[in-house]
Parts: sequence; structure tokens; C-alpha cells
Amino acid sequence: MKKGRILRQMQYEVFLLPAILAFTAFTVIPLLKTLVYSFTDFDGVLHTYNFVGLRNYFAVFRDDVMKQALFNTLFYTFFVVLLINVISVPLAVCLDKNQRVKTLERAIFFFPSVVSALLLGYIWSYILSPLKTGALNSILGSLFGIKPIGFTSGGWIAKFSIIAVAVWANTGWHTMVNIAYLQAIDPTYYEAAAIDGATRFDQFRFITIPLLAPALTVNTLLLLTNGLKVYDLPYALTKGGPGYSNYTVTQIIIQRGISERQYGVSTALAAIFILLVMIIAVIQYTTMSKREVDA
Amino acid sequence: MKLRKLLRDNFSLSDLFILPVCAVFLYPFYFLVISTFKTLREVSYNPTAFPTSLYLGNYVEVFEKTPILQAFRNTFTLTLCSVLLIVVIGEMAAYPIAFNPNKFNNAMLVYLMLGFLVPFQAILLSLFEVMQTLRLLDSLPGMIAFYANGSALTVFLAVGYMRSIPRELNEAAIVDGAGPARIFFQIIFPLMKSITTTSIIFNTMWIWNDFIAPNIFLNSRTNTTLVLEVFRAKGQFTTNWPIFMTLSVVTIFPIFIFYCFMQKHIIKGLTAGAVKG
Repeated sequence: MKKGRILRQMQYEVFLLPAILAFTAFTVIPLLKTLVYSFTDFDGVLHTYNFVGLRNYFAVFRDDVMKQALFNTLFYTFFVVLLINVISVPLAVCLDKNQRVKTLERAIFFFPSVVSALLLGYIWSYILSPLKTGALNSILGSLFGIKPIGFTSGGWIAKFSIIAVAVWANTGWHTMVNIAYLQAIDPTYYEAAAIDGATRFDQFRFITIPLLAPALTVNTLLLLTNGLKVYDLPYALTKGGPGYSNYTVTQIIIQRGISERQYGVSTALAAIFILLVMIIAVIQYTTMSKREVDA
Repeated sequence: MKLRKLLRDNFSLSDLFILPVCAVFLYPFYFLVISTFKTLREVSYNPTAFPTSLYLGNYVEVFEKTPILQAFRNTFTLTLCSVLLIVVIGEMAAYPIAFNPNKFNNAMLVYLMLGFLVPFQAILLSLFEVMQTLRLLDSLPGMIAFYANGSALTVFLAVGYMRSIPRELNEAAIVDGAGPARIFFQIIFPLMKSITTTSIIFNTMWIWNDFIAPNIFLNSRTNTTLVLEVFRAKGQFTTNWPIFMTLSVVTIFPIFIFYCFMQKHIIKGLTAGAVKG
């Protein structure tokens, strides 16, 4: 009898095996190795290495490019989170109607979400090209007769170009998340408010915004984690340039580690980065599950 | 009068603003497409003008000079196999967690959910070593094996959905003498359609458009993918951008067609992951 139960249990556990095996091999083992390497002088070539304590971690903060990359990533994430939230809420309210033209508009705004970010970045790199033949510069030139602007060739202006393109590429997706939540709002709230004489703006301010709060939480936290991990789009737009001025954290981890073979400092930055993403993801998970309890 | 009703039924005041925004929003794609019908000279002389003639030379050149069809085949195989594996593996893993809850299975759920927390870009160096040791570098099956570990989202969604399936269903099947394998594949899996769709769409978007992993793990041109060809073309045709643009259009085209037909499902599936019902 007992043997039969164990056998049945084992039959269940077999179902977990493929997922556990794949995840252990391709995520957990590399994660542990990364953490171990960050405390050693491993160089990727020799198989002997010594523990060096926190030396690599101090090196991260002496590496100006890494500090710059950390700043760039945080700067990018902050503005993308802010702008997309500010734009996607009113846009969602405008698009939340069952009309043919609204369906078309939604499809248009969403379309960049299904195209590779690398490709989108490249298209924009031609549009924003600092040369006279760049599309935007040629339009501005013929309209206002001004000299070409270096949209991707100046450190600061390139930061804002990257942010602008990221907002263009991702607003549609987050607008759709807002719309999905909007459609769950009970229409009787609006009817009651209209009877009580609330204006459209009052309704937006006192019904839509509070009831849309969960969508804002979801969007913000998704944008935060995706923003910190960003790689393809800035890389395609400026290659991290000019110089090192627009490197992202992921880009410098890959460059220092794989191209320059500085395993120690690269894995130390990776460990700091994992910690940062973990903290945010845990906040994301707990706020989301707390909301489920409330609902 | 009739016109007025037609307008009111189909348009809102906000469209006066939003439709022009849509036009500006789509400009990059318009620019991309018109560039492909221009010669290099035309493009550099007047980059934003409408093409003067329908020049198709770029398309001929793209198909002659780049292994674009091979890339398409590879991307298709890679995406299809990986997504299938992720969905099956992920939903399988959810089955004991949801229907046979005990301490061990709960611990396994927490373990698999670590996948959400670890950004793969950060562990890339060590991952490269693991792939090397397992001899999975520069091979499509190797890539598929790697992608198969990305099932955290599928497991998460599937466990949530399976917990809403009455447990009596499982127990009744056991009483009737069916084993777990049969119960899962014949009864549970067919019930998971909505989760399966969401998971397929999410993972297809990710794997089809992935750049970092193929760029680091697939070196030889025979194993190239569409995104990698875009990346290579950017280097190969730096000065000849009509060709680059043409290659981009060729790679976007299948997605565009797919998007036109599946638009509703794609949007619903993608946002369903964020909106927990």
C-alpha cells in the first residue's frame, strides 16, 4: 500500500523533471558561477583562481565606464517609466471605445511591440542620423533651414533620443495593459457620476485614475525591470556612443567579460545588477499578490 | 444627415488629434518602406522623398547576397521548437505543483520562480561556459535547449490556472484507473487553451526577436537567424542603406502578416499576462 503511494508520488514528480533540469543547467548553475567568480581573480583562461574578497566590487566603483553605465541605465529607466505612464493613461482613455477606427489606432500603436527592438533602433538610427542626409535633419533643414542636429552624436542629446525611441516603441504595449484594466471598470460608476453632475474631467480624476491604479503598478514595475535590463535598442541606436557615454549596464557587463576577459570586475557588476533587479522584482511580486488578496 | 450619423458612429472628437499622431507614429515604417524602392544615389540625394520609380534592385540583391531564406528557416525552426518545449515543459511542471501540493512541490515552485529574478544578461559569461561544456555552442538544438529553461512565466500562469480547475476532476480520473501521464495529456492539457495561447504568444515574440543570445551562442552563418542577419547587414551594408532597409522589410514582412491576422489574439494574449483575471 505504502509502496504504491510512493510510486504514485514519483509519477507526479517526473513531470517536474524537465523544467527543473533545464532551469538548473542554464540559469542556476551560471548564476552560482557568476557569484563565485565575482569574489575571485578568475580570468576565463587559467582554471586556477584565488579568492580576493571584495576587490572586484571595489574595482566596479573605480571603473568610470561602469559608473557611467549604471547612471545611464538608471537615467533611461527613470524617464521611460515616467513618460510612458504619463502618455499611456490618457491615450488608453481615448482608445477605449468600440469603434472601428479605435481598433485600427490600437493596432497601430501596438505594432512596434511585435518587431525586434534591434531593428527598430536601426531604423531610427537612420532617421536620427546626425548627417544632413538623416531623415529628420533633412526635414528640419528644408522646413526651417537649420543646420543638422547631432541627435545621436552628443552624449546628452543621444540619451534623450534613446529615451524618445524607447517611448515610441513601448507605449502601445503599456497602453493596451491600461485598456484591459479600463474595460474591467464597472460602467455604472460613470453613469452614477454623470447623474450627480460630474464633468468628464471629474470622472477621469475621481473614477478612472483611482481604479486604474493597479494597471499603473503593473506597468511601472514591468517598465522598471525591463528598463534596467535594456540592451538592444540603445546598442542599435548609438552602439553605446559617442565614446562610452551611453553604455548600458548589460552592454558593459558583456564587453568587459566576453570581449575584454575581465571576468572579476564584470561578474561583480553582474552580481550588483542581479541584486538590484531582484529587489525590484520582489517588490513587484509582493505588491501584485497583495492586490490579489485585496480584490 | 446620414453623413453626420456615420461620422458620429465611427469617429470621436479625440480622433482629430489621434489620427495625425498615428500618422507620425507610423512614419519610421513608411520611411523604411520607401527607402527600399530607391537606389543608393536617390536615397542620399533626397532621403525623405517618395521614390521616383519602382526600383526593385534592392530586393534582388538582398536575396542574392544574404542567406535570408536560410535565416528565415532557422528562426522558424528555433522559435517553433523552443516555444513548444517551453509550453509543454512549463505546463507539465505546473501539474504536480497544482494537483499534488506538498512541501517539496511548493519549494520547487519557488525555485522555478527564481527565473523571474535573474536577468539572463547578467549571467551570460558563466552561461557561455556551461554551453561550451555541454557542447551546445553554435548549434540550433543547443539554442533550443537553452530557450527551454525560460519556462518561469508559463509555470507561473499554468499553476494559477490549474488551481482553478476542480481537484475532483483529477481524483475521479485516478479512481477510474488513469495514470498521471494520461490524466495530464488527455484531460488537463486540453483545458489549458487560454494559458497555452498566452504562453505561445509571449515566448514567440521573445524568441523570434531575441538578439543577445543568438549573437553570442550562434557563430556560423549556416545557423544565422533573421535578427542576426539584420545585425550583420548593418555592418556589411553600412554605406548602402537601401539594401539594409530592404533586408529589414523582408524580415518584418512575415511578422506584419502574422500580426494583421492575429492582432486581436496577440494583444489579448500579451496583456492577459499582465492582467491577472
